[in-house]
Amino acid sequence: MRNKNFYIGNTIFKNPVFLASGPAGYGIEYRGLINLEKLGAVVTKTISLMPKEGNPGTRLQETEAGLLNSVGLENVGARCFFEDKLPELLNAGAKPVVSLACEGKEEYLSLLEITSKQKKVEAVELNLSCPNVEEGGMAVGTDPKLLRWYITKAKLILGNITVLAKLTPNVENISSLAVVSERAGADGITAINTLLGMDINLESGGPVFDRVVAGLSGPAIMPVALRVVWEIAQVVRIPVIGVGGISSVEDSAKFFAAGAAAVQIGTAIFYDPGLPERIVDSLEV
Amino acid sequence: MTDLMKGSYETELVLSEKVSPSSFLLTLSKPDRFIDAMPGQFVSIKIGSGTSPLLRRPYSIMDITKNSIVLLVRVVGKGSALLASRRKGDLIEIIGPLGGSHFELKNGLNAVFVAGGTGLVPLVFAARKWTKEKKPGETHLLYGAAGSDEILADLCMGDFTEVHIATIDGSRGFNGNVVEMFQDLSERGVLPEGELFSCGPVGMVKALLDSNPASFADHHTSLEAVMACGVGACRGCVVPLKSKNGIKYRSICGDGTVFRAKDIDWKRWGK
Repeated sequence: MRNKNFYIGNTIFKNPVFLASGPAGYGIEYRGLINLEKLGAVVTKTISLMPKEGNPGTRLQETEAGLLNSVGLENVGARCFFEDKLPELLNAGAKPVVSLACEGKEEYLSLLEITSKQKKVEAVELNLSCPNVEEGGMAVGTDPKLLRWYITKAKLILGNITVLAKLTPNVENISSLAVVSERAGADGITAINTLLGMDINLESGGPVFDRVVAGLSGPAIMPVALRVVWEIAQVVRIPVIGVGGISSVEDSAKFFAAGAAAVQIGTAIFYDPGLPERIVDSLEV
Repeated sequence: MTDLMKGSYETELVLSEKVSPSSFLLTLSKPDRFIDAMPGQFVSIKIGSGTSPLLRRPYSIMDITKNSIVLLVRVVGKGSALLASRRKGDLIEIIGPLGGSHFELKNGLNAVFVAGGTGLVPLVFAARKWTKEKKPGETHLLYGAAGSDEILADLCMGDFTEVHIATIDGSRGFNGNVVEMFQDLSERGVLPEGELFSCGPVGMVKALLDSNPASFADHHTSLEAVMACGVGACRGCVVPLKSKNGIKYRSICGDGTVFRAKDIDWKRWGK
């Protein structure tokens, strides 16, 4: 893998090292610690149509080589994001990929309409781990029919905007869902989102998190992410973007070797914000 | 404050002194580009080279001199134990200064500080900084500890006009908790009118607020939390503020660490 311009869909990226959605917020919070201009892209925190306050109670719990989070998609909402946050991120010289919430169908369609009117948005990533609020709360990305619907609508409404499908690993056969995503028109697959986990507070005897389960990220999940990227890369032709626990230059090299066209760095920026730039440097010819 | 001022630095551990059975005073070399921090701001420290513990640990700044950054570490778990085991000359990676709000005092007002445990740290920084800048009238520190062997206030007796100590076991100073001492001192007219600043356990700050100190113009408190990013990005450490329409969360690392005590939604915070 080398640093050179490459395409995913209609979007050109200058290198294959992105910040993952979530840990970096809107990207701008990391100015001064990460040179955003140097990266291939910054995938923003997931944006929903309306602002979201996020989950009550404990939101973070460190584990062995990992981190459980139950932030609950707290975000400023589409309007504030496009008016305030996105211009700042662009000013910082970053190439944004906007992570979109896949919530209720009506809200989702409105979010796509608003996004389609943003001249500065070249690429989006669909967060398909959002709960299907209309039918039982399972992640929309666990159901092939829903998955197809969400991706098809995005492609239809967003026109030339590149659409990445970020898949949840909390399913039986992620490869078949990757194939569904490709057939539905996704320009790329991002894998993986967090694994479901939980923790118990021994003092109370109950779960640490108000919502019981939380998303596990960090080095602990890397072998799972690597396996998934390998499997998906065997069955789709569109680019696969590897994410999950990358903590070193060597880790990123493993993802490229497993078939990833690009990598995303998430939890590692909490303790090593210099890592994304070191990976870019490692790819210099 | 703009967030462009923070940075990532490698510092050297100049001195590590044991100041109580569980606490260490760490003096780090101050990098040239490290800008002057404000009281209530913090640094996040990379604890080890591996992934356990994974996250950096946030430490409130106790003092900044021309050449050094002073922090206080109480050993409460794996991260703090590892940090306390570091020796003179070791290199320590820090990010800072972090935090989007800080303690402020109007010129000439008196400042009353109420601290429990390591909550002392940002208050000492405030007292030292303001005294240097000739800002406050009187400065009073009210410090509470379980017993006399954990009284960190001895580190900073000279930094305040008066220091009042309370111990739960009665082994030194006022016999009771720091809020009971606050009420006692208030009733006896020992404390001057002015502004109130606190840092300590949730129960202490809430009790202080409930004690309704009418003679104080305002009460600001610096909050502690488990943090991941330290820069307000990940929304992992949030405090609920009172709001007319639903819940309003603010990040402790990015919007704090300092909040007006009465703005915090205490029914939801620290349960």
